[in-house]
Amino acid sequence: MSVLKYVLRRALYLVPVFFGITLLVFTIERLAGDPVQLYTALNPHITEAQRQALRHYLGLDRPVLEQYLQWLIELFTLNLGYSYSSGLVSSLIAQKVWATLELQLIGLVFSLAIAIPVGVLSARKRYSIIDVTVTNSSLIGTSIPVFFLGVAFILVFGYHLHWFPSGGLQSTLPSQYPYGNLVLDLLWHLVLPATVYTLALLAPVVLLVRSSMLEVLRQDYILAARASGLSERTVIYKHGLRNALIPIVTYVGLYFGGLLAGAPVTETIFNWPGVGAQFVVSTTQLDFPVIQAIVVLITLMTLIANLVTDVTYAYIDPRIRLE
Amino acid sequence: MPATITVSEQRVDRGHGVSQWALAWRRLKKNKVAIGGLAIVGFFAVLAAFDGWPFVLTSNDRGLFALYPPQCVAGFSPACLTSGPTINATPSGAHPFGTDALGHDVYSEIVYGTAAAFIVGLGATGFAMAIAVTIGLAAGYFGGWIDNVLMRLTEVFLVIPFFLLLLVFLQIMIKLNPSATGGLWLVVFIIGAFSWPGAARIVRGEVLRVREFEYIAASRQIGASSSRILSRHLFPNVLHIIIVLATLGIAASVLTEAAVSFLGFGAPNSNTWGQQMNIASSYINQAWWAITFPAIFLTIFVMGFNLLGNGLRDALDPRLRE
Amino acid sequence: MSTNPILRVEGLRTHFYTFAGVVKAVDGVGLYVNKGETLGLVGESGSGKTVTAQSIMRIVPTPGKIVDGNMEFKGKDLRRLTEAEMQRIRGKEIAYIPQDPTTTLDPVYTVGEQLTEVIVKHQHVSKRYALSKAAELLRSVEIPDPHVRINQYPHELSGGTKQRIAIARALSCEPSLIIADEPTTALDVTIQAQILDLLKALREKFDIAVILITHDMGIVADTCDRVTVLYAGQVCETGTADQVFEKPKHPYTEALLSSVPSLALRKQKLSVIPGNVPNLIQPPTGCRFHPRCFYAQQICVDRDPELEAIGDERMVHCHRWRELDLKSAVAS
Repeated sequence: MSVLKYVLRRALYLVPVFFGITLLVFTIERLAGDPVQLYTALNPHITEAQRQALRHYLGLDRPVLEQYLQWLIELFTLNLGYSYSSGLVSSLIAQKVWATLELQLIGLVFSLAIAIPVGVLSARKRYSIIDVTVTNSSLIGTSIPVFFLGVAFILVFGYHLHWFPSGGLQSTLPSQYPYGNLVLDLLWHLVLPATVYTLALLAPVVLLVRSSMLEVLRQDYILAARASGLSERTVIYKHGLRNALIPIVTYVGLYFGGLLAGAPVTETIFNWPGVGAQFVVSTTQLDFPVIQAIVVLITLMTLIANLVTDVTYAYIDPRIRLE
Repeated sequence: MPATITVSEQRVDRGHGVSQWALAWRRLKKNKVAIGGLAIVGFFAVLAAFDGWPFVLTSNDRGLFALYPPQCVAGFSPACLTSGPTINATPSGAHPFGTDALGHDVYSEIVYGTAAAFIVGLGATGFAMAIAVTIGLAAGYFGGWIDNVLMRLTEVFLVIPFFLLLLVFLQIMIKLNPSATGGLWLVVFIIGAFSWPGAARIVRGEVLRVREFEYIAASRQIGASSSRILSRHLFPNVLHIIIVLATLGIAASVLTEAAVSFLGFGAPNSNTWGQQMNIASSYINQAWWAITFPAIFLTIFVMGFNLLGNGLRDALDPRLRE
Repeated sequence: MSTNPILRVEGLRTHFYTFAGVVKAVDGVGLYVNKGETLGLVGESGSGKTVTAQSIMRIVPTPGKIVDGNMEFKGKDLRRLTEAEMQRIRGKEIAYIPQDPTTTLDPVYTVGEQLTEVIVKHQHVSKRYALSKAAELLRSVEIPDPHVRINQYPHELSGGTKQRIAIARALSCEPSLIIADEPTTALDVTIQAQILDLLKALREKFDIAVILITHDMGIVADTCDRVTVLYAGQVCETGTADQVFEKPKHPYTEALLSSVPSLALRKQKLSVIPGNVPNLIQPPTGCRFHPRCFYAQQICVDRDPELEAIGDERMVHCHRWRELDLKSAVAS
C-alpha cells in the first residue's frame, strides 16, 4: 500500500484518539471545580458578584457541553485563549518554545552522538572492562533522579566553583556578559542545563544501543558477512549498526513526540524559561487555558511523531509492510 | 545395539525433571549484578519493616526510636530551629548524616522514607499491573472488537504526556483536599492510574505470542472453557513478563513520585524521600547533606530494583530456555 | 584422487571462555582435504563441527579462541596470517555456507547488494560489472528470473532460494575450498535433494574441494569421497567413504550407521545411541565416548586414546580398534 494511503488511514485513527484526549483533559479540569473559585480563593477582596462576572466573562456559566464544543472550535481555529494571568496563551507559549527546543535538540544530538559509539563499542567488546564499566554506569545512570543531578551540578559547578551560572537563560545585566558578548553569555548559561539533560538522556540510550547491537551481532548474517571476507568495519557498521539502529529510530521518534513537554524538572531547577517550566508554574496556579493548550499541543505532536516514526520505520526496515 | 552397560562410574546423565522456575532461579543466581540488586532490595525491605512502618503517613509523628536529640521530639523547640542542630555537619554519633531544616535527623528521615518508597512502589505498580494484566489478557485472548476498543483506549493513555497530567491531577487533588492524611495513597493511585498502558501493550504482545502455542489450540478443541485456558495455560506463561514489568515498574514509580514531590506536587504530609528533598532544596547552601543523602539512598533503592528487574528479564526469558 | 591436501588441520583446539567455565568445543581435531574432493564432517549437534569450520576461517565468535593447532591451507599457515591477509582468503579462497539459510542474509539489503559487495571487495571491479556477474551466478545456481531476484529482499524469498543465493555468494569469487555447514538441514526433503544435486554439479564443474558438514549419514554416502567423524570435539575416525561405511572402526561410527533408518530394515526396532552429548566444560575422563560406548573397558575410562593412522587414509581414535569387529548396518 502506498505511503499516502497509509498516512491517511493512520490520520483517520488520530481523530478519535485526539477527541479522547481533549475529552479527558476537559473532564479533569472540570473535576477540579470552579476555576474562578480556585483562582481567587486566596483573595478576600473579590466579591461574589465579581466572581460571577468573571465566570460569565469566561463563559463558565454556560452548559458544560457547550463549553466543551466551544473549546474544540477554538482549538481548531488555533485560538488558544487567554491565560488567567499572562495574556494570550499562544504568545506565551511562543515565547517559551525556543528555550525548550534549544535544550531538547542539544540533548538529543549530544546524547546520540555519545551513546551510539559507546554502545557499539560496549557491544563489540562484550565482557571486557569497557563493557562492564559502561553497562554498570548506565544502569546507575538510569536510577539517578534527574533533579538531584541538576541540583548537584548547580551546587558544585555553580555555587562552589563559580564556573557556570546557576540558572537562567542569560545574565540580567549586560555588564555580566563574559567578554561583553551576548552570544557567549547565552552559551555560558546553556552549559550546565544542557550537560545535565544530556547525561540524563544518555544512560537509557547507551543501554538501548548496546542491547540492540548485541542482539544484531549474534545473528548469522553477521557471521556470514565476516566469512565472506568483508572488513570488520563493513561488518560492524554496514551490516551491524544499520540493523541495530532500527529500534533507535523508534526511540528518536518518541523523543520528538515529547519534545515540547520539555523537561519540566530540568527547566524548573535551572530557571530555564521553557514550556516545561511554564507548565509547572501554570499548574501550580491552576491556570487552565495554559494547561489545556500545552497538553493538547504536546499530544498532537506525539500523535504526529508516532505517525512519522511508523512511516520511517517501514522505510528503513524492508521487512515491514505498510499494511 | 542394546542399551548401555558401562564400566565407568561416569554415568550418563539423563537429567531429572526440573521446573522452569528452578531453572530460572539458577540462572538468576549466576548473574551477580542481579543478585546485587536483590540484596539491595532485601536490605531496604528489612529497613522498612523494622523501623519505618508506623511513621510514614504524617511527618510529625516520629516515634520513640529515632536518633535525634530529645529537645526536638515535640517539634518546634527553639533549639532545633536555630543554627545548632540544623546546620550540623556530619559527625558520627548522634547524627551520622546531619539534620535537616526542621531539625529532624536525616538518617531517621531516610529510614522512614524507605517505608514510604515501598508503599509508593508496590502500591502504584500493583495497581497499574492489575489494570495492565486485565486489559492485556482480555485484548490478547479475545481479540476482535474487544481488542480494538481496548487498544484504542490504551493508545489514548499512551499518547498523553503522563508526567504533565500527573502534575495537574495532583495539584487539583491537593488543592481540593489540603489536609488529607491519605495524601500519599492518592499519589500512589494517580501514578498507578497512568502507568498501565505500556505494560498492557507488552502483556498483550506476550499473550498473542503464547496463544499461538499448539497446546492452547488443543485445549480449546478439547472444549476447555475460556477461563480455564486463561488461568491454567495463558497466565502462567505471561507471568514471567509480568514479574519483570512489576519489578522495573517499582523503580520507575518511586522515581516519578520523587520527581513530583521534589517539584512540590506531592502529598505534603507524607514523608517520602522526594518530600524530604523538596524541603531540603531551599536550604541547600546551608545543609547540602539534607538533600544529598536521601538522594543517594533513593538512587540505590531504584538501582536495586532496576538491576533485579533486568536480571529477572534475562533469567526468565523463554527464548533462552536450555 | 591426488593426495596433495589443500587444507590440513592438526591438533586443533578451540575453547570458549564463558562464565560457566571453559567449554572445550574442539579439543584435538585433525583433518585434511584434497584438491577437488568432498570431505564429509559428521557428528551430532554439539560435536564441534561448526566450531571447526569457524576455526579454519578464524571467525570463531567471542568468547571463543583458537588455543592450539596447525592449520595449513595451500602452504600458508592460517594461524600466522594477519587479519587483513585472512580477509583476503575468506570468501575468496575459502568460502563458507552457514547453516540456516533464513538468517544468513542481511534483511535490510537486497540480494544484489549482498552479492556485489563480496565481488567488489575481492575482485576490485565496478559495481555494474559485479551486478552482472551476480546475475550470472544466480543463473548458475538455477534461480529463475535472476534480474528480478537481484532487487528483492531476503524475506521475499523461499528457504530453498535463499540457500541457493548463499551458495552463489560462496562461489562468487571462485574459491578453492567451500565449507558447507549442514546445507540442507533447514530445508524440506524435496528441496534437500535439489540442493545436493546442485552442489554435486557445481563441484564437478568447478573442481572445488568441499567440506560438507552434516549429521546425516545418508548425505555422506551420497556425496562424499572421504569422511571424518567427530564426537565431543574430537575425531573418532577418518577414512574414505567406502572404507568407513563398509567397515567402521570406531564404536560411535557403528552406532551412527545403525541408527540410519532404512527401508530394508523395516522389521527391526530403530536403534538409538543411549545417553546425551557430554558436557564440554567437564568432559568425561579418558575417551570421551566411553559413557555411551557398548564396548567400553577400564582403559577407556583412564586414558584418552591416540588418533592412530592405520592404513591408507585411515585413522582411528580408539583403544580397542584392533579387537573390535564392528558391523556396518548399511554395508552395500
